[in-house]
Amino acid sequence: MGARVAPRFEDEGRPEMSAEEFRLLRDHVYSHCGILVREDMKFVMERRLWPRLEALGLRDFSMYHRYLRYDAQRRAELEAAVEALTTHETYFFREPAQLRAFSEEVLPVLQQRNAALQRLRIWSAGCSTGEEAYTLAMLLKESRRFEGWDVEVHGTDISRRVLATARRAEYGPSSLRATTPEQVSRFFEPVGTNKVRVRDEVRAWVSFGQLNLLDAEACQLVARMDAIFCRNVMIYFDIPARKRVLQAFSERLVPGGYLLLGHSENLLNLSADFELVHLRGDLVYRKPELTLKGGR
Amino acid sequence: MSQVLAFQEEERYQAVLGLDPADTGTLDALIAGLHDESWRVRRASAESLRRLPSLAEVASRLVAVLGERGETGARNAAAEALVGLGDPAVGPLLRLLRHADPDQRKFAADILGQLGRRSAESALIEALEDPDLNVRVSAVEALGRVGSEAAARALESLLKEPDPLLRLAVLEALIQLHWPPPLPGVVPLLADPQLRRSAYRVMGLIPQVAATELISRGLASEVRSIREAALGALGTQASVADGALRAEIDSQARNALKRLPDAVEFVSQAFEAEDVPVRAGALVAAGALREPSLAVAVAEAAREDRLLAEVIRTLSRLGPEAGRELLGRMAELSLPARAAAAQAMLEMVDPSYVPALSALLEWAEDDLRAVAVKALGRTQSPEAVAPLVALLDEPALAGAAVRALGVLSGGCREAVLAALEKVMEGQPSPAALAAFAHAGGTTALPALRRLARAADPLLRAAALDAAMDVDPAVGLELARGALVDEAAPVRAAGARAVGRVGDTSAGTLLKRALQDEDIAVQLAAVDALGECGAAERVPELEALVGHPDGALAGRAVRALARIGIVRAEVLREAARHEDAEVVKAALQAGAVSAEGVALAVQLLSHSGWDVRATAARVLGDSGGRESLEAVRSALSAEQDALARRALSDAVERLSRR
Repeated sequence: MGARVAPRFEDEGRPEMSAEEFRLLRDHVYSHCGILVREDMKFVMERRLWPRLEALGLRDFSMYHRYLRYDAQRRAELEAAVEALTTHETYFFREPAQLRAFSEEVLPVLQQRNAALQRLRIWSAGCSTGEEAYTLAMLLKESRRFEGWDVEVHGTDISRRVLATARRAEYGPSSLRATTPEQVSRFFEPVGTNKVRVRDEVRAWVSFGQLNLLDAEACQLVARMDAIFCRNVMIYFDIPARKRVLQAFSERLVPGGYLLLGHSENLLNLSADFELVHLRGDLVYRKPELTLKGGR
Repeated sequence: MSQVLAFQEEERYQAVLGLDPADTGTLDALIAGLHDESWRVRRASAESLRRLPSLAEVASRLVAVLGERGETGARNAAAEALVGLGDPAVGPLLRLLRHADPDQRKFAADILGQLGRRSAESALIEALEDPDLNVRVSAVEALGRVGSEAAARALESLLKEPDPLLRLAVLEALIQLHWPPPLPGVVPLLADPQLRRSAYRVMGLIPQVAATELISRGLASEVRSIREAALGALGTQASVADGALRAEIDSQARNALKRLPDAVEFVSQAFEAEDVPVRAGALVAAGALREPSLAVAVAEAAREDRLLAEVIRTLSRLGPEAGRELLGRMAELSLPARAAAAQAMLEMVDPSYVPALSALLEWAEDDLRAVAVKALGRTQSPEAVAPLVALLDEPALAGAAVRALGVLSGGCREAVLAALEKVMEGQPSPAALAAFAHAGGTTALPALRRLARAADPLLRAAALDAAMDVDPAVGLELARGALVDEAAPVRAAGARAVGRVGDTSAGTLLKRALQDEDIAVQLAAVDALGECGAAERVPELEALVGHPDGALAGRAVRALARIGIVRAEVLREAARHEDAEVVKAALQAGAVSAEGVALAVQLLSHSGWDVRATAARVLGDSGGRESLEAVRSALSAEQDALARRALSDAVERLSRR
């Protein structure tokens, strides 16, 4: 037969992204935030960025590259581009088995460990529009283990736009698809006909901030955490970037603190700083206790 | 006891991390670490080895560890470390590939495959003739990762080998390489239950009607596993097919599926498959069946990014009934499915969609709302006017709403105009003003003149932009005042307006804007001068070519090119700019001149791959045969794949001159 064939998926009437444009845009995004768009994802990048070209009235991807390089709005646009490239599914109480394991098996441990200080810190890293951070606060409320404690669930994301949505705390029906009616009435109040807002008592336990996970200096600003949720975020990073993020997580976790990843993610070949913990309902990672290093 | 062990393990782990790469004993210590009982210590040792100064020595020591029988953990750690070493590991592994022990040769082939270096290809091709079957299989698998055309051709010839394990490995390697072998070599393999699945997948890579016929025959099979394998092939073939073959695929798939009594159920279940090609095949099959009840499953297939375009194509083939089904169940769909469904709906909308699209505007994500806005414009329904006008104050969607109202005014102009006139009576936003000018045309001019004097500078700028759209003469009149406005956005709008009219007075009008304190105004003036061909401002533009701001310098180069005056020394100055975009602009500006061609030859050795590729293109377009040697020489030294491609094209074109 001869001639290598590359499976492709054509689309009509849209500016095509040349191999060079792809490389320039990919490298630009990578240098900004470590997110690596794989070589075979050119057409996905093309599709996801096309609405950005349309919104800005730009004719082709070379112009878009120059816009990202030079325009006065380039920083905001780069965030919009990254957001478009990394958009992933997020809704309340997503991956219930993992959340159940966290509630039933991790929270009792954290309650016991922190009983003296009565203080709990959880980081939702790559929180997008906030559903995960609020879900974690709701789980803490449901557990009734931390009444009267100093509790904070801290959500961070690289995109200011998603953080604005997170702070607004208003959501449509698609965000509630895994939320029971009891949970809806307990943790949300209606807004208009199609939306709900997270109740103040839950919001009081949640804060948000803008953070590039690869910015080691900025990560130092995050408090020491008892648990970190970073689900389906590291899939966008290459291996060196993943290692840097895991290094930051290791530094921000207290000894014995937990790291929870998405179901398709693991630390194989990435970090030896965490130990695998087999819960009854899930596998999670934990930073080894200080006692292991004791006596030194 | 376990506490003590854990304590000791941590100590050993920390000790490995603390080793100084410059110390003479570190290599021995790390090699010993590869033999540790703890995987953490072995892993840390393997990773630390790549930081040592003499990687060639490290590679030789690691290869020696591979020969230690009974030390499985150490051998695996050494293999991992060799992969981490990269290029320095290749030489010792190529030597290992000629070792007397077949186990060692297999190890070498496996690791070379993981290293993925093209320099190992010819040795791996030779290993395809190794007397040991396991080595041959490993070489096949390695070539599946690193192979080029030569490897693919060598693999093809092995399809006739008697051993099924080897043939299976060859099929999988060809799949990895996206290399379609000749169809007659694949057909006999369909009869072998062990090979059938892979053989179908390979057949999917063959863009021929004869392959489509065999795949369709498989689709109609009574054996479920054959049907599933054929579905995967169908998905692959559809993704590599051109228009004519694609139509043939759809037609043959429809005929084959018609013969299946449980076709809809079969396709519906195929959407749950792990295998992406099978899901791709399910999409092709769903489109061929035109079955609206599959709409949700089709939309959800968009969760796999690579299937997005096929999902949209399939949804648009399912018809309006499917569109309404999707719209009604939007909140239940996953985010990618919602985005795909919304995109597909653009092709299906009619006035009945307005209520559901309006509801979507209330709760959906901004990207999805933007598609809903576009869809509302296409409904051509007066009912769509109010929700769109309401969005004109919302910054994220105002631009999309302006465009949608523009589309809508093609079918129901009166309704659009009436709604916008009402808005204009109050405090209009810049977006509302733009929409009003678009729908109202010259009747909007009195309002635009009034708003060009508004207190809000953004409104003044928008009024000027809109006036230019409606009546350039009025626009130019307003632009003269705008150029001395105290607000930068208005001055920039003034410069843009002058550029659009292309008046001969542009050079005089834009002189001040060119020296504006605000860079956005300067940029607009530079662009405008280029558009007008204002030759009298060439000296000022030339002065900007060396500006440290790459945007200003690059646009000055482009403006000069549009005016048609690019002096050789200006080109050279631009080519020395730190910003690669300016250098590329210089190459493009000089493309047709002798100076530009000479510059392109020089820039073939620039540090930026994109500059080298642009230089190659310029030479391919405008160079003479005398450039050929320089381009050939650059090609022989070029390491970057994209620059190599541009240089190869240039060599080919120049050779024909």
